[in-house]
Amino acid sequence: MKTACALATASLVLSGCASNIDNAKGKPSVYEDVSTTGSVGGVGIESQDVVAVTDKMMRDMMANPLLTGRSTPPRIIIDNEYIKNESTSVVNTNMFTDRLRIELNRAANGRMVFVGRHFSDMVQKERDLKRDGAVDGGTIRKTAAQAGADFRLGGRISSLDAIDRNTGTQSRYSQISFEMVDLELGTIVWSGLYEMRKAARDNVVYR
Amino acid sequence: MKSIVKTLTAAALGLGLLAGCTNLPSDSTRLTERTAPITMNSVVFSDYNLSRTWDGGIFGDGERYRLTVAQHGQRATATGTTEVYAVLRNHTDYDYQVEARTQFFDQDGVPTDVKPTWQRLTVSGNSLATYRELSTSTQPLQYRVEVRELN
Repeated sequence: MKTACALATASLVLSGCASNIDNAKGKPSVYEDVSTTGSVGGVGIESQDVVAVTDKMMRDMMANPLLTGRSTPPRIIIDNEYIKNESTSVVNTNMFTDRLRIELNRAANGRMVFVGRHFSDMVQKERDLKRDGAVDGGTIRKTAAQAGADFRLGGRISSLDAIDRNTGTQSRYSQISFEMVDLELGTIVWSGLYEMRKAARDNVVYR
Repeated sequence: MKSIVKTLTAAALGLGLLAGCTNLPSDSTRLTERTAPITMNSVVFSDYNLSRTWDGGIFGDGERYRLTVAQHGQRATATGTTEVYAVLRNHTDYDYQVEARTQFFDQDGVPTDVKPTWQRLTVSGNSLATYRELSTSTQPLQYRVEVRELN
């Protein structure tokens, strides 16, 4: 009897060990404030930098009388077409232009008009359908052509890297410049510059 | 002789403890700023390591600061938006990296304008530095600037 009990206990213990299920609680995802440094940070351009840059540029543009002080609101294109990333930071420059355009459009409240040139093919397809009679004319209006723009945003991201071989500390100076160009004259009516230098030893990979 | 040494040691310890009581730490719940009413058109240190005051201590009211606000104010820009400025003074020998942001309120005290964003600023040791922020709205505004040490 004793032998049978011992065998039963041993087999139960062994069957417990045979399970592949790890029933430990995992580490949950954590939401972080996009405008402050997060738990993972390095020397590259991060969310707080995108927010800070676009916020600064937006406020500065709203205080420029050449852009917002006109009796007829100017038409402006803000897209990624003429923004160049010449820095060593891996960053999608659409994040800058999209946030800037959207925040400006909300804040301007009609003081600037934004031309969606990146949607021009979508607009043209609908215009063609209307003019071919495939669909009716809509309810708003008809225009001879799509809107031409008065100004367009250009810009550049550049950087300068340095590394201390003894400590492994990496330093990166980043410069982000934006310029608003008059699309008839070619003059620059507004400029904005944002610069920062970060140093870190963390082994962070940006993707 | 021994008794004199003991007395002096006790006195020194007592003085040391009392001196310690004159400075409330930044995480104390007795700091005046923790329960101070919200005031408009003001600059406050949300980081009590930079500046803090208290009252009712053993030696009465107290104050401890590294930075102070030398002056602050607002003016209208050419397009009618509001520009807020605050001049910070560093009373220490060390450079301070701080962040500041401005919350705008309309004349009724209702929060308005775009979401405030922290702006970095270096205040060099024993020097002044100016923080500036622009609103996007053209209506008359009140402001409240918050300053904290950069993490």
